[in-house]
Amino acid sequence: MILRGLSFSLLAPAAALVAPAPVFAVDYLTPEQVQSEMFSGAKTFEMRQVMLTVEQQRAVEERLGEPLRRTSYDLRLARSEGELLGVVVVDDVIGKFERITYAVGLGPDAVIRAIEILSYRESHGQEVRLPAWRRQFVGKRATSSLQVGEDIANISGATLSCTHVTQGVRRIASVVEELRSAGELE
Amino acid sequence: MPRSPDLIPRRTFRKGRRLGALLRALALLVACSVARADEEPKAESATVLSSYGEVNFNFPRHGDPVADLARFVIGLEHRFDERTRMVAELEVEHAVSSKTDPGEVDVEQGYVEYAFGATFSGRAGLFLIPIGLLNENHEPTAYYGVERNFVETAIIPTTWREGGLQAIGILGSGITLQVGLTTSFDLGKWDSNSTDGQLSPLGSVHQELALAVAHGLAGHLAANWRGVPGLLLGACLFAGNGSQDVAGVPHALITLWDAHLRFAPGRLDLSALYARGTIGHTAELNALLTGPVLIPAEFAGWYVQAAYRVWSSGDRSLTPFVRYEQFNTGGSYAVLGPNPPPAPLPTQEVGTLGVNFLFAGGVVLKADVQSFPQNHDQDRLDLGLGWSF
Repeated sequence: MILRGLSFSLLAPAAALVAPAPVFAVDYLTPEQVQSEMFSGAKTFEMRQVMLTVEQQRAVEERLGEPLRRTSYDLRLARSEGELLGVVVVDDVIGKFERITYAVGLGPDAVIRAIEILSYRESHGQEVRLPAWRRQFVGKRATSSLQVGEDIANISGATLSCTHVTQGVRRIASVVEELRSAGELE
Repeated sequence: MPRSPDLIPRRTFRKGRRLGALLRALALLVACSVARADEEPKAESATVLSSYGEVNFNFPRHGDPVADLARFVIGLEHRFDERTRMVAELEVEHAVSSKTDPGEVDVEQGYVEYAFGATFSGRAGLFLIPIGLLNENHEPTAYYGVERNFVETAIIPTTWREGGLQAIGILGSGITLQVGLTTSFDLGKWDSNSTDGQLSPLGSVHQELALAVAHGLAGHLAANWRGVPGLLLGACLFAGNGSQDVAGVPHALITLWDAHLRFAPGRLDLSALYARGTIGHTAELNALLTGPVLIPAEFAGWYVQAAYRVWSSGDRSLTPFVRYEQFNTGGSYAVLGPNPPPAPLPTQEVGTLGVNFLFAGGVVLKADVQSFPQNHDQDRLDLGLGWSF
């Protein structure tokens, strides 16, 4: 009886893990709102899915010093009268337990123009939304350090969220730089 | 009397199966819930498992070396719906808890949190008081040194939790406000024949929601500002009824407040903290005691700490640090009758020099030496292993 009771009580919540629950999220912005805020002069936003070639993937991984999580990226190209104003990439990283949805806006030169938090789901660490923290990324690019504790200051009590968002921004900056140098941002 | 020959194998068998079931369940929990930051995010689970722990080795200049699994904690978060979650931590201190062993089992946190929107949320249950730099962020990977600092152990009784309600507001200006109504301390637990009260006055009378006497409640207000990247500036005030309205015992207000600063703009990591506590009507309270250890009227401490990350590669980093702290758990005592007031306890100083080596995104190796100028016999070398995920 002891065995049965113990097994049931522990396995019941474990079984519940298999079924995804409704997402606990505070949605601050939609991707459409973010792209309009980042490039207010844009008249059109072109959705484009790019697949990195093996050579591009290697080049990005060499710059990052770590493997890429994926090789397919959805770009939102901001244009005005045909001229490219920049690109927005929406991505997710895991904070401590939950996903953080964020967006990076880069100019045609692959320099970061802005980052924004779209959805936050953790119970701690929401301070990554603070404008002063996000402004640290402006003007940086793939060749920047882009590391917490180097050129990005940490937020006490939100270390994991800061670290993982910064890692995500660094990956996107590297991918966009690679696409720019290959002439694929036109 | 000889033991029954068939008793031993049966007990072993049952224990083995029980352990097996436990390990299988935990393995399933971990496999389903622990997500690595570098993995592609997948559909989120409703329940997530976390853990932290520390294994410490203390080698005093004089006295016996001690090896201790100081803490092992399993944390559980469960999301009921898009606004409601439960957060709990179950802790075993000193490895084994039994009548003849030094350990204890605690529920360190157990609360339900409800998000009212993007800015405000509320908690109900057993939660950590938002005071100091360590109390809410007490995992071994979050602080320097094998042992937690003395000020946030002796003056602020980390890990300090109370039961009640708390409202949290994270404002756009970088200010986080937390205000709560909770249970309080119980001075009826003061043991005047034990030195526990001199090691940590409030640590010896906390209730931790274990059949807590709840006649007298407490309130707290904490404000933290993170408006400049790398900077944390904050303070907390806690005030509560410590005598729990016991007949014949005077109403004693207990206060504890702190102010803290942390500035980590890059590789440098600076911290400073001051904490001070008071207990009211200690003259009347101490007159009721039978032993020699009196309740202090005030106690206080402060520290400054500097760390610098000298090396990092990927998720590995090496960070030496130095810390100086002063604290007094019996800063002053009330006058007792016509006699002069009892002399305050001597102020203790501690200097700590050490290094943290972080790797694998959640494991830390630590080493430090601690110097106690008031009694160099206490000087020691500490080595530690910690983890957090």
